[in-house]
Amino acid sequence: MSSEQILALLPILVTSAASVVVMLLVALKRSHGLVFGVTVGSLLVALAAIGSSVSVMPQAVSSLLIMDRFALLYIGLILAATLAVALLSYAYLESRAERREEYYILLLLAAAGSEVLAAAGSYVSFFLGLEILSISLYGLVAYRRQTPLGIEAGVKYLILAGASSGFILFGMALIYAEQGSLQFAALAAAKGSSFDVVSLVGFALIVVGVGFKLAVVPFHLWTPDVYQGAPAPVTAFVATVSKGAMFALLLRYFIQLDLYQYGAVVLVFGIIAALSILAGNILGLLQNNVKRMLAYSSIAHVGYLLVALLASGPLAVSSVTFYLIAYFITNLGAFGVVGYLSSGEREAEEIDDYRGLAWRRPWVAGALTASLLSLAGIPLTAGFIGKFFIIAAGAGSRLWALLIILVVGSVVSFFYYFRLVLAIFREPDAGAQVPYPSASLAGGIALSVLTLLLVWLGVYPAPLVNLLGGMTSGLL
Amino acid sequence: MRQYPIDYGLVLSAVLFAIGMAGVFVRRNVIFVLLCIEIMLNAAGLAFVLGGARWGQADGQVMFIFILAMAAAEVSVGLALIMRMFHRFKSLDTNEIARMKG
Repeated sequence: MSSEQILALLPILVTSAASVVVMLLVALKRSHGLVFGVTVGSLLVALAAIGSSVSVMPQAVSSLLIMDRFALLYIGLILAATLAVALLSYAYLESRAERREEYYILLLLAAAGSEVLAAAGSYVSFFLGLEILSISLYGLVAYRRQTPLGIEAGVKYLILAGASSGFILFGMALIYAEQGSLQFAALAAAKGSSFDVVSLVGFALIVVGVGFKLAVVPFHLWTPDVYQGAPAPVTAFVATVSKGAMFALLLRYFIQLDLYQYGAVVLVFGIIAALSILAGNILGLLQNNVKRMLAYSSIAHVGYLLVALLASGPLAVSSVTFYLIAYFITNLGAFGVVGYLSSGEREAEEIDDYRGLAWRRPWVAGALTASLLSLAGIPLTAGFIGKFFIIAAGAGSRLWALLIILVVGSVVSFFYYFRLVLAIFREPDAGAQVPYPSASLAGGIALSVLTLLLVWLGVYPAPLVNLLGGMTSGLL
Repeated sequence: MRQYPIDYGLVLSAVLFAIGMAGVFVRRNVIFVLLCIEIMLNAAGLAFVLGGARWGQADGQVMFIFILAMAAAEVSVGLALIMRMFHRFKSLDTNEIARMKG
């Protein structure tokens, strides 16, 4: 391996090494503050390492990883989101008496797996990244292992992720047995001859497995349970980093194999997108639990992202990426507030826990309101600009049916977002028992930065749009 | 030794995969669900080895070793989780532990 390749891989190497360092550190001395500091420091170093990787890109490292502009952008996004999750987790873990240090090992490993997914150029790295991510997430989702909900969420996630890995692997195996290569690029070259039945079945199985991972309808059944039972910062991680990494892979796969030319593929993904938008928003209306409500909202948002994915053309990559960045910031903010307000005894997850929040904690209420408005796509927030780009991309490729469903779904979603916003601004209930929050400085900083970014992207998106505009030609 | 066509092997692995998949959806005992996931993974492993033999490459066997390692990691985490579940609920039934609905 040449030094340029090592330089290109530096962000992934730093993240992986950090998880080993933290593991050794825990073996020597258990100190939550120290482990937290090392984690945050190494994530910052990994982010800085992206700067050095930019100078040697695009670089194909063996046949497994492709470190191009696209991969580095997504790796940066994953690292920044992991940093936010780590900051939000500190107070959350501090208020719980269980062992806290292992959490950061798993978090760093999961981030490393996501980075591999974002840079994957072959089925082998796809599989490895996916499994590193999933197996760390089993531990993270079940981290509240003393509570019945934590165990239930962990077992459900285990079965779900295990079965979906089975689908993806069998699909890969069938494609390999027919095509004789595991590289996306080689498959793209071979596809000139039309696909045979075995490869088609393999492709369908991969779609099912990826569907489970992205939690799109009809593969969403246990997603709200996992979101509810997992600790709030982990829910934020599952909703953003794990889905975002999968989406990065899907985007690269779609563009490299040029799947847009197959009408059937576009039709299947269109149906999945429409079902996700409708079912996610309608089921979201029925929820009284804030975490479940946000879970259904995230199902709908993946539907919106799929609409942007299907709108091929130069606008697709940049509109998907912009929406994904807005979605990351918004969901980290929303789940961050849930974690910020949760106490050691229970999570702040009922709508009543938020009643009168604007009077009790005006700043936190402001952050949550901004996130909810952005999820709903109200102007002056990042969510609005993101949705605007999706509609522009969809209109450019004449996906009228999907756009109408998207608009209808957004209107339905207003009802449940505003239900929570109304609860925040209602007079506080004098006798109500609210959980005593586990607030901290780190979490407060993370929430303020997320809220500022949210508004900044909504008011002045031009710099980011210009940055993403250069990406369309960046795919290797 | 007689050479069998690759399709026979693929059919066998597809049957194995279907058995595993049916088990995951039908079984309620969490240990059996985990076993069925293993059957699905090993069906994929068999198909990978067949593919490697067909194309004369090592890739298929390398993937099989990856699958073995991943399945071992998954089972170790999974069994630890199932131990917690049994301690807490005194049951291995996925329906009985379900508290969350909607």
